[in-house]
Amino acid sequence: MTNYILKRLGQGLLTVFLTVSTVFILIRLAPGDPAVSYAGPLATNEQLARVREQFGLDRPVLEQYWIFLQQLFTGNLGTSYSFQAPAMQVVAERMPYTLTLATASILLTAVVAIPLGVWMSRRPDTGKELGVNVLTIAGQSMPDFWTGIMLLTGFAVLIPIFPASGFATWGGLVLPTITIAILQIALISRMVRREMTANFAAPYLTVARSRGVKNSVLTWRYAMANSAIPVFTALGTRFAAMLNGVVVVEVVFAWPGVGSLIVRALETRDYPLIQATVLLTALLAVAVQLVIDLAYPLLDPRVRLGKAATA
Amino acid sequence: MTVLPQGSEISRRRLLQFGAAAGFLLGTGSLAGCAGPTGLPGPSTLTLALNRSLVSLDNKLNQFDAAVTVQRSVRQGLTAIGPETKPVLVLAERFEMTGPTEWTVTLREGIRYSDGSPVKIEDVSTALKMYKQVQGSFVAGFFPEFPAVVPVDDRTFKMVSKKPVPILDSLMSMILITPAAQNKPEELQEGVGTGPYMVTKFNRGAGTYSLKRNENYWGPKPEIENVEVRFLPEESSRVIALRSGEVDIIDSITPDSREQLAGLPGVKLKEASSLRLNQIFFNFRKPAGHPLADPRVRQALSMAIDGEALVKDVLVDSVTQAEGVTPSSLTGYHKTGEYVYDPEKAKATLAELGVKNLTLKIIWETGEFPSDTSVMEALVEMFGAIGVKAELQQFEPGGNILAWRQGKQGDWDLLGNGYPSPTGLAITMLQGMYSGTPEKEKTRDTYQGYVIPEVAAKIQAASAEADPARRTERLNDAQQAVWDTWPCAWAFVPKSVLAHRERVSGINLAPTNSYPLVDVRLEA
Repeated sequence: MTNYILKRLGQGLLTVFLTVSTVFILIRLAPGDPAVSYAGPLATNEQLARVREQFGLDRPVLEQYWIFLQQLFTGNLGTSYSFQAPAMQVVAERMPYTLTLATASILLTAVVAIPLGVWMSRRPDTGKELGVNVLTIAGQSMPDFWTGIMLLTGFAVLIPIFPASGFATWGGLVLPTITIAILQIALISRMVRREMTANFAAPYLTVARSRGVKNSVLTWRYAMANSAIPVFTALGTRFAAMLNGVVVVEVVFAWPGVGSLIVRALETRDYPLIQATVLLTALLAVAVQLVIDLAYPLLDPRVRLGKAATA
Repeated sequence: MTVLPQGSEISRRRLLQFGAAAGFLLGTGSLAGCAGPTGLPGPSTLTLALNRSLVSLDNKLNQFDAAVTVQRSVRQGLTAIGPETKPVLVLAERFEMTGPTEWTVTLREGIRYSDGSPVKIEDVSTALKMYKQVQGSFVAGFFPEFPAVVPVDDRTFKMVSKKPVPILDSLMSMILITPAAQNKPEELQEGVGTGPYMVTKFNRGAGTYSLKRNENYWGPKPEIENVEVRFLPEESSRVIALRSGEVDIIDSITPDSREQLAGLPGVKLKEASSLRLNQIFFNFRKPAGHPLADPRVRQALSMAIDGEALVKDVLVDSVTQAEGVTPSSLTGYHKTGEYVYDPEKAKATLAELGVKNLTLKIIWETGEFPSDTSVMEALVEMFGAIGVKAELQQFEPGGNILAWRQGKQGDWDLLGNGYPSPTGLAITMLQGMYSGTPEKEKTRDTYQGYVIPEVAAKIQAASAEADPARRTERLNDAQQAVWDTWPCAWAFVPKSVLAHRERVSGINLAPTNSYPLVDVRLEA
């Protein structure tokens, strides 16, 4: 178990390292000049040269990369050009907002999608199941910016129950959470339904049913237990993805998370801020994936981490 | 296969109960938050939404319009640009030219920062040093030179320069004063000032600031106790926040939003002419013999543009056509002429000058002005109507338009661009755009290659003239000289527009697109 964790940690850190290194190269290949974003369009070439010198942008890329690596291991990724503050600090100020939104969205998704998926799997080919199926397809098809604007118009302007933007009160969490969750619920509930349907058709369940095991036990202790791993993995993966910021939703609701931050950082070619955002979100995503992996034995006792599964 | 003991089973009913309970907890968690205020500002709190993040409470590096209102409510200068774009006294009770290269300034008596410490002459000299030292300073470029501060007594000092700086009182409006010990050659994001408000809380990442009335303020106390500053980058979000009453004031409104907000119950609009000139500027780096090197060709091309139609149909009356080389709101503005729409004359002139098969490349950066793409597409049609083909190349913000503008990446003919005059003076704009020299052009530091020595000499003469009457005369002459070179195919002055809730009054919107927060009132 310890070896497995160490191995996965090593893989995770290597993934993070390769990610931030790739981003380091890519942003420098992109057109645009951070010095211009920093000093403005009226700056002279001499001023721009001084700004490039100040931030080390006039040095060879390899030297910049070496400095970046040194900074990486000290956790200090330099000063954000646009915020004039340590880049890691700026990202850390935004991260709680993203974590809050991601956690609320994934909890709402789990609480609604799992029972809904089970409910659909227990009523195959019925009118009710067809109706819910149509709703989930609609949920999957609606772009989140449209859903967000509709919810905003409905519940922030026409019937002003919730705030329209930001996170000044807890009410501000409701509309963006629902906007994100609608799509996730549609996807996860259909996945749960598919997994459960497959398990209901499996021979072990037919045997259990013939031995008189109650439907509720068949559903939750047999079929759900065997469907748990893919569903839990999907939820975890979506949560990890949300940690990179739900850009569109953040923009629609003016949610001050890392998604809108990285968009701004890219627009202004704020290298330290881009790198800090990528580093922090990649670390979090890797940590979430590790937690998911470690949770497998809890969901299915047959799973042995680091070894071939035994039946 | 081992059958699980039946006793330990979870019934579906129990699971549904658990699910319902969890859902209820989640719901009530949110609703508990909503049970309180839903984000609506309180009766003694004013909420502003800015379109850009206020990452600084001074303006050493960047000064965007909306920030000025907030920055100057916390920090102040010796002077400010007043409603008539003339300098008005703020921390100085006297600011006058007492010699060709000397100004005498007296600080107001008893002025203190929000922490109670007095304002000293040393704070002024340190502020000037810091604004000068910061790399890529926005403000430094407007100063021909930074004057030396020579104390006379506790409150009086002289500002001495090597050459005359007759507009120093206007320039000093951009230097915000901070205690010397706390000032640094970088943007300040916190700290104390002399303004009517002080910062109590801020989140740089989220772009939110909380301001509270400064009890040590030297002037009349503001009526509003608290001000919340929020950052809402998307205009649609700002409009919705205003309509829902969550935000009291939004600014920098595009024509589309203005139309949407006009006439809405509970919402009012305010307009003012701005200090910015948007132009369709010619490339002055064309070699001799190129059609665009001839001012008559440039004038003929300008006649192809139906400015009135653009103003009315595309820009929805949110701008006015320029009638000079600077906006009419600037001090020192001189009306030099008008952009005339006459496509027949344009065609005839081009034919007369032997210009055939002319193709123009128009470049611009997205967001340079509202409805930029629509304006450019209309220009293609208008040029097409006189037999001139036009191609468009649009750059995204953060891209490499600067390299293009400097002619390092490719050739172009017309540029959609804007130029502000934060000092409120015409001379600032003239110096920035039309004072190019061959030396500056070597480093591509001129405004799109505009190097006309006679014009530069006239501008220099006007800027160094200490006598107001003669300065006006020279300034008029310089502006006419610029106009006669036909630097723009078309130019227009955008209006500054803000929208506010009905409960807000006392917004005195200035051409600087800012307003004194101290004057703002909240009705019940």
